[in-house]
Amino acid sequence: MTLRIANYMNGVVKVKICSPVPEKFINLCLARGIFLWSITKYNDDVLAYIRLPDFFRIRPLVRTSQSHVEVIGYHGFPFALKRLRRRKMLVVGALVFIVLLHVLTSYIWFVDVTGQTHFPGDQIKMIARQSGLKPGVSKDHVDVRGIENQILLKAPQIAWVGVSLTGTRAVIEVVEKTLPKQEDKSPADIIAVKAGIITEIIAIAGQSAVKQGDTVKKGDLLIKGVLAALPPQTPVPGQPPAALEPPKLLRANGIIKARVWYESYGEAALVETHWERTGRQTVGIGLQVKEHQFSLKQAPEQPYEHFQTELIHKKLPVWRNSDFAVESTINIFYEVVAKYHEISWEEARDLAKGKALQTVQILIPENAQVLARGIETLKTDEPGLVRVKVSVETSEDIGLTANITQ
Amino acid sequence: MQRRRKGNLQALAGLLEIPQDIVLDLPRITMLGNKQVLVENHKGIIEYTSSLLRIRLNQGELVIGGENLSLGSLQSEQLFVEGVIAEIRYEQ
Repeated sequence: MTLRIANYMNGVVKVKICSPVPEKFINLCLARGIFLWSITKYNDDVLAYIRLPDFFRIRPLVRTSQSHVEVIGYHGFPFALKRLRRRKMLVVGALVFIVLLHVLTSYIWFVDVTGQTHFPGDQIKMIARQSGLKPGVSKDHVDVRGIENQILLKAPQIAWVGVSLTGTRAVIEVVEKTLPKQEDKSPADIIAVKAGIITEIIAIAGQSAVKQGDTVKKGDLLIKGVLAALPPQTPVPGQPPAALEPPKLLRANGIIKARVWYESYGEAALVETHWERTGRQTVGIGLQVKEHQFSLKQAPEQPYEHFQTELIHKKLPVWRNSDFAVESTINIFYEVVAKYHEISWEEARDLAKGKALQTVQILIPENAQVLARGIETLKTDEPGLVRVKVSVETSEDIGLTANITQ
Repeated sequence: MQRRRKGNLQALAGLLEIPQDIVLDLPRITMLGNKQVLVENHKGIIEYTSSLLRIRLNQGELVIGGENLSLGSLQSEQLFVEGVIAEIRYEQ
């Protein structure tokens, strides 16, 4: 291996030795310590490899052995250098490339912020910019520790910040402080969000306005946000009865469970119609320059008996803030035909049931407990139509905290 | 006389446990199958064609016959032959 490297550095010449007695030349080389290798007989000539420094020494040997030596190939560093000398701009280009790469990678081109959840990343970037970390700044001039301290000082919501420079990218990693939630302490009542029958009511704070078994409407007061009244004081004889204090308001809190009913309908036709595109289409192309409309290709008003339209707006990509005022609109009219699909009564019923359940599911909150579900197929006068009614009974919290306006 | 001296040297080499090739100036030939031959302590080549190679030794010559013979490397102390070797023969 090292021999190969040495050979490459010295340069290697492949020669053709034309001589009636090539053995003589080879023996002369041997005696002078000139290294020959890969000697092969090619017709009457001998091919051999020789090192470039040795090549300049064989001249007298060639004379004495009365042979003729011809160079048929060469490779190695000296020859590569010679070729490069003829192509100076290639070397210059390579050097410029390396220098440019080095220079450009010594600047920061991107600043990223990771880890923030509530605190805006743009604001962190702005603080960093003020402290000297922005795209285009040299990496040597970035004081990582100083910037970290600046961000911590200027953004008190941040618990820890780490700035790391990876290549041309500066990553600001932040960890936000978890602040305790600000509790609303203003007085409030609890009202019903939907109608139902109260099954459980426990007032933790405030006075319950309804009791178990009561039917409430939407908006009814459930727990009143006042301090529970003290038992009336027995008036002390000889003193005027104490003036009635205004009730003290507080924020009501409690557990309210109620039974709520939901109902919904769904219907499905026995014969389903859906529209299918035939593949035929007409295109209308328009051009809009500011407020002016130009029609490049007019499409007929009513191209087909039944059709769907698709409107495509095409704009040039927005560059910076300049909004290019030219826009093209393409209006495509697809011809459609009605396809009728007949289904059995059971399939239609299932379809209607699915639709009804889907509509009722939207109304039921996630934490509600479903107590019962009733599905009823309604008799209809219309043939070819199946109607299904779904009723769901749930047990859920219907309380809503509503601030008392004073 | 020559023969006698050689015999004495050989006896001495055996006594002192010195390798005989050094004492007697003999070639050391290493073969790898029929593909490669390494001849150490040679005195140059006499004839070289792709089917025949004659190497001069201290005494006599070594004839290597085969096909596609080529001299892998040629140095003053060793000679490396590659190709398909058919025979190796000593000649006086």
